[in-house]
Amino acid sequence: MISVKKNNIEGWFFVSPLVIWISLIILVPIYIAFELSLFNVKIIGTSGKFVGIDNYIKLFGKSKFLNASLNSFYWIIGNAICQTFFAFTIALTINYKFPGKKIMANWIILSFIIPTVVVVVIWKLMLSSSSGVINSVLIDIGLLDEATGFFSSPNKAFISLVLINSWRWSPFLALIILSGLNSINREMYDASKVDGANFVQQFLFITFPNLKSVLFVLGLVGTLLSFNIFDIIWLITKGGPSSATTTLPLLIYETAFTKFRISQAATLSIVTSFLLLLFSIIFIKSMAPKEDD
Amino acid sequence: MIKENNIKLIFLSLSLLLIILIFFFPFFWIITSSFKSPEEIIATSTTIIPKSFTLEHYNKILFNSDFFIYLKNSLIVSFSSMIISIILSVSAAYGLHKLKFYGNKFVEYSLLVTYAFPGVILLVPIYLLFAKVNLLNSYFALIVVNVLFATPFAVWMLKAFFKLIPNEIEEAAYIDGASRYIVISRIIVPLAAPGIASVAIFCFIISWTEYLFASILISGDDLKTLPVGLAGIVGQYQIDWGFLLSGAVLASLPVIILFVFIGKYFVSGLTEGAVK
Repeated sequence: MISVKKNNIEGWFFVSPLVIWISLIILVPIYIAFELSLFNVKIIGTSGKFVGIDNYIKLFGKSKFLNASLNSFYWIIGNAICQTFFAFTIALTINYKFPGKKIMANWIILSFIIPTVVVVVIWKLMLSSSSGVINSVLIDIGLLDEATGFFSSPNKAFISLVLINSWRWSPFLALIILSGLNSINREMYDASKVDGANFVQQFLFITFPNLKSVLFVLGLVGTLLSFNIFDIIWLITKGGPSSATTTLPLLIYETAFTKFRISQAATLSIVTSFLLLLFSIIFIKSMAPKEDD
Repeated sequence: MIKENNIKLIFLSLSLLLIILIFFFPFFWIITSSFKSPEEIIATSTTIIPKSFTLEHYNKILFNSDFFIYLKNSLIVSFSSMIISIILSVSAAYGLHKLKFYGNKFVEYSLLVTYAFPGVILLVPIYLLFAKVNLLNSYFALIVVNVLFATPFAVWMLKAFFKLIPNEIEEAAYIDGASRYIVISRIIVPLAAPGIASVAIFCFIISWTEYLFASILISGDDLKTLPVGLAGIVGQYQIDWGFLLSGAVLASLPVIILFVFIGKYFVSGLTEGAVK
């Protein structure tokens, strides 16, 4: 038997290369950001004077910060709802036997493996107000009288972006849910059928509870990942119209690279990291499934 | 009984139709559009079957743009990131899976929490850090960041694959006097090969699709990656749709080709690996 002490040394030997790599690339930048947040540096590379926690105090009074926080909140909720719906629809559908099932299961993930920029190109063309296929189909079937701009009003732009982002991520999430579905013992379904359970009851009392650990990781990582989405929003609306799609990541980017207020951007980064960390700890503490081994 | 089956069948056909329309039709649309004449692409009346066929957009992008330079850069960055990610995460996943060392759970959860940071939050400080150590405008800058994005999830997937390998096989090897190194290289890695392949594709995709950091950390035209090159066309005031669409199709082609050969490992690895 291998002793506990030897396990400790060997264990750390195996994980340390990755742990060191990740810590260096996260902790050093966070330290730099924290230092910057105490000064008032504007353009990258210049120096500024020490202002203490002034940046933090100012931040909470800014309507831009509150607006972006709210947008981020709606963004996470909207994506969670859409992606859960799409991902479960895909996963439960592929879980059935039908001709072409293998091909569909292999290629459903297409929207995830192409570059985000290509996702942007696809939907900019499809949703274009002047020549988009979606507009002309909606007009043909009588749902619209004339072509609409999907990114022209605040609400439409926000909803369109949520749908586009969900389009990109749902198939990947579906495959992970499918892995959870595959690990459920088939006999449980047969037994429940004998007891007269229908297909909604089966979903609620067998499928869902057995997906707990998969859903835990998806809930945690999925929330963090969708919070961090930047490129889809930036490349389509640049945060507009009238800041309606400016989430916190976009606000940080704008502050740093178009307004050139590096210290303010650093302050925003620190506050945002703190909020996400807090969310993660609460989520892990309250939702982490009990270890089964 | 028959009634319930009928309802199921209706549901199944409806959701299949919906999935095909939503998740597959857009690809059909941009691929066929990339072969249409410029006038047809922006025509207001749209027909499903293309009326024109031209290779002019592909001609332009292949022979009259920096496409091949961007392609080369993307390939170098993605392959290097993939290889480094795999080495680091196989080692870490093995340690986390097999050795119940002090701090095991903490490391495991911390890895997932790193997803709280990547993204714009790190962009400004990483830019400053890399400027200090002279890493801006290098492949390595992008590789460092891509590995950070890919590994936490890679470790989590690999752990699930390692769980599928029966403990007895490993125990038997130790009794025969094999060292840890031999066990990993001769038993664990070969047995988990399909899993490792699927994780490798995941790492490749993460690097291939990365845009944000590539757009900020690289300023030289000779080092730009495909997504950054494409975004340059998206940002133009007058979009040349044909040029953009053929570029989008070509930028997706390498991952799609990769997927044709090892995609089934990715999908079966994800779905049958019983990721728990």
